[in-house]
Amino acid sequence: MSRKLTFAILTFVLLLAACGQVPKGGGPARTSTPVATSTEIPTLTPPSDTSIILTDDLGRMVTLASPAQRIISLAPSNTEILFAIGAGTQVVGRDETSDYPEEAKHLPTVGGWSGFSSESIVALHPDLVLAADTNPAELIASLENLGLTVYRLPNPLTLEELYLNLGTVGALTGHETDAAALVESLKVRVAAVDAKVATITERPTVYYELDATDPTKPYVAGHAGPTNFVDPLITRAGGANIGAQLQSEWPQISLEQLVADNPQFILLGDAAYGETPEKVAARTGWNVLTAVQTGQVYPIDYHLVSIPGPRLVDGLETLAKLLHPDLFK
Amino acid sequence: MLRIENLSVSYGPRHVLGNVSLEVNSGEVLALIGPNGAGKSTLVRAVSGVVAVQSGKVRTNGNDLLSLPPMQRARFLAVVPQVVSMPPAFTVWETVLLGRTPYLNFLGQVSVRDEEVARLALAKVDALDLAERRVGELSGGEQQRVLLARALAQATPILLLDEPTTNLDLHYQVSFMEIVRTLAHTDGLAVLIALHDLNLAARYANRVALLVAGKIKAVGTPRQVLTPELISAAYHLPVQVVSHPFEDVLLVLPDNH
Amino acid sequence: MRHLPYLWTLLFLTLAVIFSIAIGSVFIPPADLGRILVGWLTGAKFPEPLKTFAFIIASIRLPRIALVLLTGAALGGSGAAYQGLFRNPLADPYLIGVASGAGLGAVLTMSVKWPYSFWGLMAVPAAAFVGALLTVFLVYALARLGKTVPTTNLILAGVAFSSFATALTSFLMLRSTGELRRAISWLLGGASQAGWGPVLTVLPYLAIGLGILLLSGHALNLLQFGDDQAQQLGLNVTRTRTLILLAASLATAAAVSFSGIIGFIGLIVPHVMRLWFGADYRRLLLLSIIGGAGVLLLADVIARSVMAPQELPVGIVTALAGAPFFLWVLRRAKNQGYW
Repeated sequence: MSRKLTFAILTFVLLLAACGQVPKGGGPARTSTPVATSTEIPTLTPPSDTSIILTDDLGRMVTLASPAQRIISLAPSNTEILFAIGAGTQVVGRDETSDYPEEAKHLPTVGGWSGFSSESIVALHPDLVLAADTNPAELIASLENLGLTVYRLPNPLTLEELYLNLGTVGALTGHETDAAALVESLKVRVAAVDAKVATITERPTVYYELDATDPTKPYVAGHAGPTNFVDPLITRAGGANIGAQLQSEWPQISLEQLVADNPQFILLGDAAYGETPEKVAARTGWNVLTAVQTGQVYPIDYHLVSIPGPRLVDGLETLAKLLHPDLFK
Repeated sequence: MLRIENLSVSYGPRHVLGNVSLEVNSGEVLALIGPNGAGKSTLVRAVSGVVAVQSGKVRTNGNDLLSLPPMQRARFLAVVPQVVSMPPAFTVWETVLLGRTPYLNFLGQVSVRDEEVARLALAKVDALDLAERRVGELSGGEQQRVLLARALAQATPILLLDEPTTNLDLHYQVSFMEIVRTLAHTDGLAVLIALHDLNLAARYANRVALLVAGKIKAVGTPRQVLTPELISAAYHLPVQVVSHPFEDVLLVLPDNH
Repeated sequence: MRHLPYLWTLLFLTLAVIFSIAIGSVFIPPADLGRILVGWLTGAKFPEPLKTFAFIIASIRLPRIALVLLTGAALGGSGAAYQGLFRNPLADPYLIGVASGAGLGAVLTMSVKWPYSFWGLMAVPAAAFVGALLTVFLVYALARLGKTVPTTNLILAGVAFSSFATALTSFLMLRSTGELRRAISWLLGGASQAGWGPVLTVLPYLAIGLGILLLSGHALNLLQFGDDQAQQLGLNVTRTRTLILLAASLATAAAVSFSGIIGFIGLIVPHVMRLWFGADYRRLLLLSIIGGAGVLLLADVIARSVMAPQELPVGIVTALAGAPFFLWVLRRAKNQGYW
């Protein structure tokens, strides 16, 4: 009796799992986008005059016979860059966290924070998989072993490195001129900020908060890393990040230390999760901070400072306006 | 026959057995008696090679048993331990077959002959009808008989039993000892049985050995060893030894005078 | 009749394999599946979309299935062996600290940026494997008392070492926030590397470990009666227990090196097999190996499908399914008292 029951339960569970992968109206394998190129599993062709050869972040030499037309992006930063340089129509798949720009949301997903599906990637017949620092080497190797062309963009630690990434993606997609133009416009905007910041006499101290679930030991922005561009942006915007001297990318800071540092600005990177200046003022022990008393507590859209794409310049401008409102009308 | 020569066993600094020598002849039942802590169990375990021995030898017909590998030794002597937490899921049949281990390959593959021996062993202890039952379902007496059958399946000339009747009902105590006596007298086994019940020893043993504080105080027939002087001294209790009214058997009783 | 348990278990395994081939984040219609199988037998060439489907099955699903089967087999088999060795129904392959040692090794190597090469990619699995084995040796050495290794000592030493290793691992994870998600994902269990490479790497260790275990059924039966009785019946207890322990640990170490820490398989599968098919270890070991392979395969199918195209770590699936299943088994067994 117990054996039959178990068998029945198992069968039931399997049917549930089977339902989980029934195609949801136009599943990945049935993209209706008309495909101009062949749908064969792409193989590396010998270099020709139009071929693109670049070395990626892992030191791998990647060769494309011609600009990629079916790109899968494995990180939101890549997606943003692709669309920003005008290669949006060449993208056929994305990861789940790529939600900008709006058009990207219509693309089928191939994975996200909990792993990627090689099957889904293969089924989209990509000629280039654009990966980022957040994708582990094992994934790159797996995709490579399946015969796919993978390029991993390095994580930029400065805006100048970001420009290089834009240029790389431009080369990979045949949008070199668009990418160059974008880089120029970004440089102009950044130079404008630089010019004004050069005139400041002092740098206000800034505390950028990532998470304050425990208000006595909140997480603050430390040095730059793959998901955190805050420190260089604050510096460039004319501020001083109090978390910079701490060891990791997202270190914890004790309330005592915070009070001792007494930052002039409090930026809430966790505003999207419900933190508000009012809530901050209500936290026990936080009202001794100058920033709270003077009302210099501001919510920040974390997307502008944590995704290594063109919007970092938006983030820079936002920060500069906040930190030096008199300079940036 | 079993010859224990000058066996000494220590647990660290504590001397548990001091220079114990005993002989058990084929076809006889030698009862090992003595108060708790005297070392009866230790003697059985030491002779079967489970406890390290400081000095002394255990021989049978010239073989030095303690220097043999376990597999060889198991062909000479078999042990019936006390029934304490047996794995309940094994069947009686599976348990008795394990007694054939010294004759099986390492995979434990059983031949027709092995099954015959096991069946015979079960028959001797009158437990054939229990063969398919799980050990966990049996009573204490039945379990003890199964362990005896397993030891018999080992087909050894020497049988050691470690206080097998301790937790058994009177009925089972008697039936068990009857079987043991028959095995010695009919099948010619040399049987060394540690017992705490003096009257069982008196009734079923050919010879008795009295072990006190790790030393043999006396060896001989029941009449020779079960004397008021020896027993009272060993057990720290005045006892009287009387003859059974109708049988040729001694009874050891507390003396209340 | 005697072979019925094997038939049932093999049937279960076969069904699990079929489901694993048929289900994935890309939907392959059963009709196409059939055409592909026929095509492989007849050597035909496939038009699209069959060509992609065939590629997915052959290059992605089959190697994955193979790795999961081997992992499940190792966990099931060593779970049964550990339960027999320690005479404890709560024993599982991680009892003496293999999991924590492997985890520490893995997390330690994750904080280093390895070059993109064969050995660079092997760093984490190799470190996990070495960590697992070192733990066994260390715990064994700690627990030894002269010539014997009492089971209680082994368990205590294992628990002590596990606490230490886990604390160290947690500390490392806190320090390197960048690799945190990767470390958690690994610790929760799941196939991290695709292809036939991991399968071929793991195979020799599993063959040796499980091979020895399969030959140890009789010895484990004897050990159920206690060390004394086993020795009196002719078993060289110390040597045999050491051998079985090493074999089971070798298999477990190989299993966790690529698949992370997957729980409950090693605990539940031998239990269920014992409940249904008896406590004879000669049979129990093989059944646990086959059963473990099948159960893990099913868990992997679920892990791949419920959140497609993302994957749940398999360890979460086995825990979520395993815990209630375990309670159910416990309730049943309480009535019958069969360990």
